[in-house]
Amino acid sequence: MAITATAPPAAGTGLKTRPEWLESAIGQGLALVLALVIALGLGSIIILLYGENPLDVYGSILRASTTDKDGPAWVLSAATPLIFSALAVSVCFKGGLFNIGVEGQYLVAMVTAAWAALHLGGLLPGPLLMWGVLLFGMLGGMAYAAVPGALKVKTGAHEVVTTIMMNGIAISLVAWALNNSLRYTNAPVGQNVDLRTNIFPANAKVPDLGHLFGYGPAPRLSWLFPLAVFAAAIVWFIVKRMRLGYEARAVGASAGSAQAGGIGIGSVQMKLFLISGALAGLVGMQQILVNNASTSTGGYLPQNYEATLGFTGIAVAFLGQNNPIGIVFAAIFWASLSRGESILPIETDMPREFVIILQGILIMSVVITYTLAKRRLERRQTGRVLAEEEIVAAQSAPALEGTTT
Amino acid sequence: MSKLGFAISIAFTYFTIIYLTGLGGLFSERSGIVNIGLEGLMIIGTVTGSFGAYYFGAKLGWGVPAGPLMGLLLGLACGAAFASIHALATVTFKIDHIVSGVVINLVAVGLARFLSTVFFGQATQSDPGQPHLHVISIPLLSSIPAFGRAFQGLSPFVLFPFLVVFPVWWILNRTRWGLRLRSAGENPEATRSLGVAVAPLRWEGVLISGAFAGLAGAFLSVEIVNNWREGQTLGLGFIALAALILSNWNPIRLMGAAFLFGFAQAIPLALRDWPVIRSIPEQFVNMTPYVVTIVVLAGFIGKVRPPAAAGKAYEGTTT
Amino acid sequence: MGDIGRAGREGAPPIVVLEGITKRFPGVVANDDVSLELRPGEVHALIGENGAGKSTLMRILYGMYPADSGRIVIRGEEVRIHSPRDAIARGIGMVHQHFVLVDPFTVAENVILGDEGGAVLQHDESERKVKELADTYGFQIDPHATVEDLSVGEEQRVEILKALYRGVEILILDEPTAVLTPAETSDLFENLRRLRADGKSIVFISHKLDEVLEIADRITVLRRGAVVGETTPAATSKAKLAEMMVGRPVLFRLERPEVEIGEPVLRLEDLTGGRLHGLSLDVRAGEIVGVAGVEGNGQRDLADVVMGLRPLESGRILLDGEDLASRSTAEIRNAGLGFVPEDRHEQGLVLGMTLWENLLLGRQDDPPFVKRGILSLRTIKDLARKLVRLFDVRARSVDVTAGALSGGNQQKLILARELETDPKLLLAAQPTRGLDVGAIEFVWSQILEQKAAGRGVLLISAELDEIYALSDRILTLYEGTITGEYPPSAPAEEVGRGMLGDVAVRGVG
Repeated sequence: MAITATAPPAAGTGLKTRPEWLESAIGQGLALVLALVIALGLGSIIILLYGENPLDVYGSILRASTTDKDGPAWVLSAATPLIFSALAVSVCFKGGLFNIGVEGQYLVAMVTAAWAALHLGGLLPGPLLMWGVLLFGMLGGMAYAAVPGALKVKTGAHEVVTTIMMNGIAISLVAWALNNSLRYTNAPVGQNVDLRTNIFPANAKVPDLGHLFGYGPAPRLSWLFPLAVFAAAIVWFIVKRMRLGYEARAVGASAGSAQAGGIGIGSVQMKLFLISGALAGLVGMQQILVNNASTSTGGYLPQNYEATLGFTGIAVAFLGQNNPIGIVFAAIFWASLSRGESILPIETDMPREFVIILQGILIMSVVITYTLAKRRLERRQTGRVLAEEEIVAAQSAPALEGTTT
Repeated sequence: MSKLGFAISIAFTYFTIIYLTGLGGLFSERSGIVNIGLEGLMIIGTVTGSFGAYYFGAKLGWGVPAGPLMGLLLGLACGAAFASIHALATVTFKIDHIVSGVVINLVAVGLARFLSTVFFGQATQSDPGQPHLHVISIPLLSSIPAFGRAFQGLSPFVLFPFLVVFPVWWILNRTRWGLRLRSAGENPEATRSLGVAVAPLRWEGVLISGAFAGLAGAFLSVEIVNNWREGQTLGLGFIALAALILSNWNPIRLMGAAFLFGFAQAIPLALRDWPVIRSIPEQFVNMTPYVVTIVVLAGFIGKVRPPAAAGKAYEGTTT
Repeated sequence: MGDIGRAGREGAPPIVVLEGITKRFPGVVANDDVSLELRPGEVHALIGENGAGKSTLMRILYGMYPADSGRIVIRGEEVRIHSPRDAIARGIGMVHQHFVLVDPFTVAENVILGDEGGAVLQHDESERKVKELADTYGFQIDPHATVEDLSVGEEQRVEILKALYRGVEILILDEPTAVLTPAETSDLFENLRRLRADGKSIVFISHKLDEVLEIADRITVLRRGAVVGETTPAATSKAKLAEMMVGRPVLFRLERPEVEIGEPVLRLEDLTGGRLHGLSLDVRAGEIVGVAGVEGNGQRDLADVVMGLRPLESGRILLDGEDLASRSTAEIRNAGLGFVPEDRHEQGLVLGMTLWENLLLGRQDDPPFVKRGILSLRTIKDLARKLVRLFDVRARSVDVTAGALSGGNQQKLILARELETDPKLLLAAQPTRGLDVGAIEFVWSQILEQKAAGRGVLLISAELDEIYALSDRILTLYEGTITGEYPPSAPAEEVGRGMLGDVAVRGVG
C-alpha cells in the first residue's frame, strides 16, 4: 500500500466505548419494556371502562399460566406450534420476504403428514413412523412454499398476495383430501362422525413430555416443544453463522449490493422459502399427532382443524423482533395471554376477547417502539463515529503529498 | 345464457367490493403509502356496517333505506378511523409500510371479534333481522331475454362505482389537491421543496383508503350477505390489491380489472354446472378466484409502473 | 463583463445578510459562525470541499432547516425563515444539486406545483404563462413536454423556471454544473448573465474552481463549516482558492507512474443491451482508460453489463481472452474483475451490516472465510481489521455498522474489499462522487497504484477533472456507444464535443 496510514483512533479518545452488541441489546430491551408498559397501560384503561380492577385481571391471566394446575404445561404446549410458525415467518423476513402463507403451508403439511401416517406404517416400524410423519409434514410445507417462491423468483410476483391466495387454495385442498383420498373409512358402524381422516397408528404420535415434570396428560405437553426450541437454535445458527444466513441478510438489507457482491438473489430467496415451508410444516403436528391422539391411538386430521396459527405466528414473530431467541419467549408470552383468555370470563366480568385486543395493542406498540429504538441507535452510532473521525482528523498530520511509490 | 346472466349479476356485486377497495388502495398508494391492510380495513367495515344496519334499521326502527345506509356510513367512518393507525405508523413513525399493513390485518381480526361481542354479544356473527336496501333491476337492460338476468336483483349500491369513477378521475387529474397528492407519491422531495407539506397529503390518502375499504366491507355485510360472519371477506382485500396492480393504478382501468376478478368470484357460485366446470371437483372450482389472482400477478408484474415513491419512507428533511 | 447589473451593484446595499450562522448536526458542526453578504445583481460563488457546509448554509437560508444561532437580514429587515414557502415568499429560490422534479408530470405542472392559482387546474393557462416566462429570459423549453423525456440541461432550466415563476430575486444554485456538458455549462452561464443583468442575485455553490473564476463576481470560501476568506476572481487564482478550501497546498495532478502498457486485459466487443448500442473498447495491462460522458448515456448499463448485473443482448466481454458475457456475477468476480460502483449505497455496501460483514461481500464462497457453509468469524474479522487499518478507514471497530461511516470512509471500505482480491481489472464508476479532497486524493492514488502494479483500470466518470488526472486514454460515451478517443493532452472542448456525440470527423473544425 502506498499510503502512510495514520494511527487508528487512540483508545481513550474520551468517548464511552460499549461494545456494539451490548448497546443494541440494551436498546431493544428498553424498547420492549416500553412497549409492554404502553400495552398494559392502554389495556388497563379498557379494563377500567368495564368496571374491573386491572390488577385483578392481569393477576388472573398470570395465575392461569403459572400457579394454576398444569398452567405452565398448557402454555408451553400452546406455544409449540407458535414457535414453528413464527420461525417460519422470520426466516423469510430476514431475506426481506413476507411469507404470509405459513397458514396454507401447514394445512397442506397436515395432509401430507396424514397420508404418511396412514400409508407408511408398513415401511417404517416403531418410532420411525413418527419421524417419517414429521418429515412428510416438512416436505409438504416445503413443496407448497416452493410455489410462491418460484413465482417470486421467476416473475417477481409479490409474495404477500400470492401466499395469501395460496392460503385460500389450501383450504380447498384439505377439504378435497378429506372428501377423497383421506376419507374416513374406518368409522365404526352406525356412528355419526364428522369429516376427518382415519385414525393414525399409535406409533405415529409424539410422546408426552409433561408427565416427566409432574404435569397431567391434559395439557398435551409433548416432545414437540423441545423440538421447537431446537429448531429455534438451528435457525439462530443458520442466520448468524452460516453463509446462507449471511447472504439472506445481505439480500434483505440491500439486494443491489448483495447482487453486485456475487450473491444469487433468486437462489437465496428460494432457499428461504423452502426452509420457511419446512418449519411451517411442523406447525400442525401438535394438533394431529398430539392433541388428537389418545393413549392408544396416533391422532387424526379433522375437518375442524385449528386454523389461524399461521397468522398468529406472524404476530409472535414481530413480538419476538424476528429473532429466534426472542421468538421462543414471545411465543410463551403469547400463549400465556391466550391461556388467560379462557380463564377471564370465569374469574372476571371481562369478555375473553379482551385478551385479543391486548395482544393487538401489544403487537402495534412493539413494532413501533422497536423501529424507533433501532433508528435512534443508528443515529447515535453515526454521530459517535463522525465525532471520532473529527477528533482523529484534527489530531493527525495532514496526509499525503499525492505521490505514489 | 341466463346462467351466465346470473353469474354476471353476482360478478357485479363482487366487482363493487373489489373496485371500491381497490380505489381506496389507489388513493393511498398514489400518495406514496403502500396499504396492504385493505383486508383488515374491510373487516372493520363488515362488522361495523352490519351493526349500523341492524341498530338503526331494526333496533331503532328506522327501517329501509335509512338503516342500511347508516350501516354503510358507519362502515366508511370506522374504516377511516382504523386506517389512521396505519397512517400514524407509516407517515409519522415511518414504519415499513408492509409491516404496518400486516399488523393492521392481524389486529383487525381480533378487533372485529371484540366489537362483535360488544355489538352482538357473540364473537363470530351478528344478530338476525338486519335490513338491507330493496333490490332493483336496471331498466331496459334487465329486459334482455335470458342475458337480462345479469341486471336483475341487484343492490342499488352497485351503481355507486359507476357514479364515482369520473369524479375520482377528475379530482386526481384536474384539481390542485390531486396534483399535490400524486406528486407526494412520485417525488416527495419535489413536493416539499416547493413548500407543500407531504405528511398531510399522505394522511389524507390513507384515511380515504380506509373509508373506501370500510365502505366496501360494509356493502358486503349489509347488502350482499345481510349479516356479519367472521372470515366473510375471503381475501377480497388482497384480490383488490391485485386488481389495483393490474390496472396500473388508474381508476378507470380499475373498473375492468375489478370486473375480471368479480367474475372469477362468480364462477364457483353460479357456473358450477357448466360444461367443463362440471367435471372438476367442487373444491377445485372453489379455488378459481385465488388461482386467477395468482395468474394475473405472475403475468403482469413487469409491465406496470407504481408511483415512484410508494413504499419508501420520506424523511422530511434532506441532509 | 460590463453588464448593466454590475453598475447598479457597486455601492448598493446588500440584499441578503447572513450573520453568525451556526448549525450543528449530531457529531458535527456544519456551520460555525458564518457571515456572508449578497448584493443585488451579482453572482456570488460559495466554494468549499464536500462537507464544508455550503449546502447547509444555503438550506438554512431557504428555510429547510433552522439555524441554531445567528441572524438573517433581507432587504434591511431581520427575518425568520421557517420553511421553503417562507423563503419563496421573501424572494429566495433554490435549485438543488439533485433535481426535484416529478418525472411523469409536464414541465408546466412541475413549475406550478404548490402555486397552482386555484383549486381547479387550468392547464392551458399555466402552459401559456410558463412559456411566457421562459421566453422572457431566453430559456428554450416546451411547457407541455413530460419531464421524463427532457435532457439534463432542460431539466435544470425547469428548476430555474420554478424559482422565477415565484418571482424570486435571489437564486441559489447548488452544484449546477455537476451534471452538464461543457456546452450546456456555457448555455447556463449565458442565462445567469441575463438574470444578473435583470438585477437578480445568484449564489453559485460549486467546487469547480475554473467555472467559479469564470462566472463569479465575488467568492466566499468555506472550510469545515467556517468562512476562511472572501475574494474576487481578479484577486485570486485556482491554486490559492484550492489552498483556502483545503487548508494546505493541493496538487492537482498526481504523479502518474511510468508503466509499460501491455496486452489487452479487458476487451468489450459490440455490447448491445439496455442503453448500450454496439459499445466496444479495450483496456490494456498497466493502463487507465477513462470513459467520459454526461450521465444518462449508458454509464450505469455499461458497468452493470460488465459485472453481470444486467443481461446482455449481444456482444462479448473478454477478460484475458475468456468470454464472460453470460456468466454470473460471482463467476465474473472470481475471474478477476473488481468493481467500485457509482452508487455505493445501492450497489456497494449493505448499510445495515457491520464493516466485517461488508468486507466479506464477494468472498462469501471462498475458504478460509467459509468452511462447509459456516462462517469462520475469527478469520473474517482478522482480515477486516487488517484492511481497515491499511486503508485508514476511520472506525472504532469492525463491528460498527457501515451506515455510520462518512462517505469517504465508505468508499475506502469498498476499495479495500475490491483491491484485496487483486483483480486483473478494476471497474471504477464515479468513484469520487460526494467525497472531500482528502478522500479524492486517496481514491486516485489507489487507482494509480493499480496501474503501477500492471493491472488495468476502466474508469467511468462524469468529472472531466478526474478523467484528465488519471487516464492514459480518454473515450467519450454518448447514447450507448463510444464516440471518440482522445489523448490526455486533448483540450476539454474537443472531449466535450465527443460527449455530445458531435464527433467532427467531417473535417471542418
